Amino acid sequence: MTHADILATVDRMIREVMGEDYVYEDEITMATTFNADLELESIEMVQLAEKLQAHYGEGINFAAWMGQMELDEIINLTVGDLVEYVESCRTS
Amino acid sequence: MPHVVANGVRLHVQRLGAEGPPVVLIHGLVVGSMATWYFGLAAKLAEHHRVLLYDLRGHGGSERTQTGYDVGTMAEDLSALLADSFDEPVIVAGYSYGALVALRFALDAPERVSKLALVEAPLPPSAHGEVMEFLSMPPEKQFGALSPAMRRSVSSGQRRARRLAALLQFHQSESSLVRDLQETPDVPDHELAALHVPTLCLYGQESPCRDVGDRLAAVLPNARLASMTGGHRLVQESPGDVTAVLLDFTRGDDG
Repeated sequence: MTHADILATVDRMIREVMGEDYVYEDEITMATTFNADLELESIEMVQLAEKLQAHYGEGINFAAWMGQMELDEIINLTVGDLVEYVESCRTS
Repeated sequence: MPHVVANGVRLHVQRLGAEGPPVVLIHGLVVGSMATWYFGLAAKLAEHHRVLLYDLRGHGGSERTQTGYDVGTMAEDLSALLADSFDEPVIVAGYSYGALVALRFALDAPERVSKLALVEAPLPPSAHGEVMEFLSMPPEKQFGALSPAMRRSVSSGQRRARRLAALLQFHQSESSLVRDLQETPDVPDHELAALHVPTLCLYGQESPCRDVGDRLAAVLPNARLASMTGGHRLVQESPGDVTAVLLDFTRGDDG
């Protein structure tokens, strides 16, 4: 399980959650932000979390992970942050 | 994503936490969804409780029904959802209109509620017209009436603003939400006085609903009032403080 594998999975799930209203024109990379680039709604973050949990198992505790962040961390959250979090859950 | 059909409506649900007394969290109207509780508060509660979150009908990931936005019908949705989820009494916590749904459910089925937390309940909703005023504004004025956080969220691009506009348009002109709100009656004192479930009434000191908290705490026989700095949007503005007060209540021996 590499960064690239997790990134590909997260990429697919982001597109599933955003559906036909997906508007981001560039490739999703580790530096892509959920807020400014993808314009994900907060409820879509919850739906993304559900998909991650279903795929990677209950070890992914997205609510607790985000719950301890400050507002500016949440606003600046990148796809890479999420990929690294998933990886840390799987190796710990 | 997980859905449950309750009371004939497809509701988006999310469960957190593996053990402890069950809690259900109910969000407020229109711009609300389970995300109101999800980031921060729900995770902390889930350390001590099994937590059930859901999107009210017409909100978040739940079915956009044309009708059924009155408190009575939404309490029936909650009743069906809880029957499907837990076989024991539940701590019911609601914010704003969600608190009115929680209160209605507790009045109808007090034996199914172990504790009740009413955060910024606007009773009756027709006397606290924020939502109705908001929905009756022309779109160009609605933006200015959003919370600062919401304004930042929809102004940083096009997609969220467009989706919010579509949701508002739906509830302004296609759903019965505004009419249902206007027609939701007050709860008379004698009905409140018969509800003995331990209840927390949490209000912001600067909230326009603050007097409702005083009334509920005075008339409900087993209620206490907690107030904190802030206005009506307590949960969004001070999630840490709200979490602390709620956890103290859900884990304490109130009653």
